[in-house]
Amino acid sequence: MAVPKRKMSRASTRMRRAQWKATPPTLVKTVENGKTVYSLPHRAKVVEDSAGTPLYMEYKGRKVADV
Amino acid sequence: MPTPTKGPRLGGGPAHERHMLANLAAALFTHKSIKTTEMRAKRLRPVAERLITFAKKGDLHNRRRALGIIGDKTVIHELFTVIAPQVENRDGGYTRITKLGFRKGDNASMVQMELVLEPVTPKKKAPKAAAKAEPKAAAEEPAAQEAPVEEVATEDVAVEDAAAETAEEK
Repeated sequence: MAVPKRKMSRASTRMRRAQWKATPPTLVKTVENGKTVYSLPHRAKVVEDSAGTPLYMEYKGRKVADV
Repeated sequence: MPTPTKGPRLGGGPAHERHMLANLAAALFTHKSIKTTEMRAKRLRPVAERLITFAKKGDLHNRRRALGIIGDKTVIHELFTVIAPQVENRDGGYTRITKLGFRKGDNASMVQMELVLEPVTPKKKAPKAAAKAEPKAAAEEPAAQEAPVEEVATEDVAVEDAAAETAEEK
């Protein structure tokens, strides 16, 4: 079985781990009834009532699916 | 060489893949709208639309061809008697895929796939946008060019005045 010859240094461990980064998603900003909503482009959006309860999913003004 | 199938392979083998696509198509025809992953929906679309094409022809030979894929007589009956008349005037594009979100667990992109059963509305040709915005910035440029020249001229005058004053003092 192949085994590492040398102990991996703390620096190289940390350099490897530092490459794992999160990328911000590109969002679409819309204003509905004076409320700013951010959503993913080309994806159905959850429609909520005034209390914030999710009702259904909507895309281009059509109801497409239940939540 | 045969053209490879568009999209990813499903299941553990060709037979498994055929079963998965047939079962998905049967579910789509019974429920009219199904929630599935984006990859499965993309593979299902040509299969389902081909079955609908068989159904639109509607004769016994095409019914047997459809039964060779799905095999469930109740589903095929529903397809030939209910769905086919509703898409009579539609030339292809019998399914609609709407992306929803990402599944918890494997982050797979989920979609809602539905049959387009609404009556066909003929497309209207969009009128060409003839109105063009006129250039407005042209009038501002000459004024901006003149201003620095004047400033330089006044500075020169001021320098000369200062020089004259110093000369007089001496």
